[in-house]
Amino acid sequence: MNFFPGRVAKRSILLFSCLFLLTASVAFAKDYDQLFSDANDAMGQGDLPAAITILEKVEFEKGDDDGAFVRSRMQIARLQFALKDMAAATAAAQEVLAIYPDNSEALNFMDSVKKEQKPRYAVFIEDCLRFLPQLLKGAVMTITLVVCIILISPVGGLLIALGRISTFKPISGICWLFIWLFRGTPLLLQLFFIYYGLPSLGVTFKPFTAAILGLGLNYSAYLGEIIRGGIQSIEHGQMEAAKAIGMTYWQAMRRVIIPQTYKRLMPPIGNEFIALIKDTALVSTIAMVELMRSADQMFNAYFNVTALILAALIYLLFTTIFTFIFEKIEIRAGIYENR
Amino acid sequence: MKTANQPLLSLKGITKHFGSLTAVNGVDLDVCPGEIVVIIGPSGSGKSTLLRSINFLEEIEEGTILFEGNEIGYVTSKHGRRHLDVPARICALRSEIGMVFQHFNLFPHMTVLGNVMEGPLTVQKKSPEAAREIALDMLAKVGLSDKRDVYPATLSGGQKQRVAIARALAMRPKLMLFDEPTSALDPELIGEVFDTIRDLGREGMTMIIVTHQMGFAKEMADRVIFMEKGSFVAQGTPEDFFANQMEHDRIKSFLNRIL
Repeated sequence: MNFFPGRVAKRSILLFSCLFLLTASVAFAKDYDQLFSDANDAMGQGDLPAAITILEKVEFEKGDDDGAFVRSRMQIARLQFALKDMAAATAAAQEVLAIYPDNSEALNFMDSVKKEQKPRYAVFIEDCLRFLPQLLKGAVMTITLVVCIILISPVGGLLIALGRISTFKPISGICWLFIWLFRGTPLLLQLFFIYYGLPSLGVTFKPFTAAILGLGLNYSAYLGEIIRGGIQSIEHGQMEAAKAIGMTYWQAMRRVIIPQTYKRLMPPIGNEFIALIKDTALVSTIAMVELMRSADQMFNAYFNVTALILAALIYLLFTTIFTFIFEKIEIRAGIYENR
Repeated sequence: MKTANQPLLSLKGITKHFGSLTAVNGVDLDVCPGEIVVIIGPSGSGKSTLLRSINFLEEIEEGTILFEGNEIGYVTSKHGRRHLDVPARICALRSEIGMVFQHFNLFPHMTVLGNVMEGPLTVQKKSPEAAREIALDMLAKVGLSDKRDVYPATLSGGQKQRVAIARALAMRPKLMLFDEPTSALDPELIGEVFDTIRDLGREGMTMIIVTHQMGFAKEMADRVIFMEKGSFVAQGTPEDFFANQMEHDRIKSFLNRIL
């Protein structure tokens, strides 16, 4: 029965020792897998303390080659965080940091714990302070654009309005065409055309120039129609009375007709300028860094919605100030009506 | 106040159409310096259109306008087409002819003083001080010195019309045109406006007045003209007109409707 005993014995020893090593290592790994799996089951049942107790059984093995220890401690930290036990959560993360001081997961976790321990408004204020410098830089550019367009577009609008009501057909035709074009196409398309399209025709603009050009032309077209309406709403007798004392058409326009349009034009022009504040956000698409673009950058860098909220608040501040200013101007412009 | 001099204004064959409607049909009229001509007639008879064409607010198709003996307002191009003279000359002519409108047409964004100053200041390019002085004189003349700093919106209709008269007078016109100056006024305010016009007449201002106020025509006019369908139907001194022309059927029926 004992065939080739020596060889068999040798083989058996080899086999057993291999088997032992194998089972030992499997048992070692399987041990923690089982723990993690058990912890998962406990979490699935909503028993977070039980899950923590199970995970605490994972111990630091030399080197922690499979990361089980870090994994377990971070999991404990998150669970404690969910249970609002910040001290325990911090302790768990600290265990990791004690061994791996540079572990980014643990460091980030400590940050969020710190944040969680602060009141929400304090976190918001901290975020605001973090984003504000960048956003304010953007806001300055937004206001620069708005002011430039507020200076340019009424002049352009007045010229277009006077051109439109001119009895000289070529002039009124050109002005009609201008309004038709710039009111009839999206502002975004106009900006794209000026900044991205014109270079292919050999005309290149800097982003700021392109933004001013696009917004300026578009808003001149809109204001042109508004101003034309204002001029034509002035009673015909005013022009006749001005002519009757010997004024020329242009003197009558400058001294009599146009000044009377101010009050009537304030509400619609105020509306346009408030729309303008928001429309400047469109130039963020042609490489301009203004408020919208800054907010977008912050949001993408930190994935923090506070950047967007803050930008919205700055826009609201601007529009509110403008509404207020225009109400004041409107009252002043119409002072002769109620005195 | 009639004088036998050369007419200040002379209209010959004035004709104006609005589409197929003949508003003024070949009207002749001579107005001597200092004369007060009152034109009456039913609405749509062309009175206002005639008055407005004297001031080039309406462009006439036929006829000539002579002011102080000179033909004015229209030029004939090489191609034989007649058109209004260059704006600069039209404006110069208008500044010699004052006009008062039914609806006053004061400039609402200027104070009373500003309204009256506007002509001397902008048209005659006088200094603000000089313009102000003239304006204050004119406001005193129409009795509204105390209203100089208010805006027209606060004035009564009669006051507005007096300011409008002062505004026209500030240009020192040689002829004043009144286009139904009291038709937009409440009855109790008509008197103050006519008082102002009466004062002007006493100073020797030449005036053409379109009105429906027969009492005023009787009292003030050197000549009353009845206009209908674009033509002068009858004219004469007030005494003659209201005594004899009353027999004219159409005038009688018109006056009966008015009075």
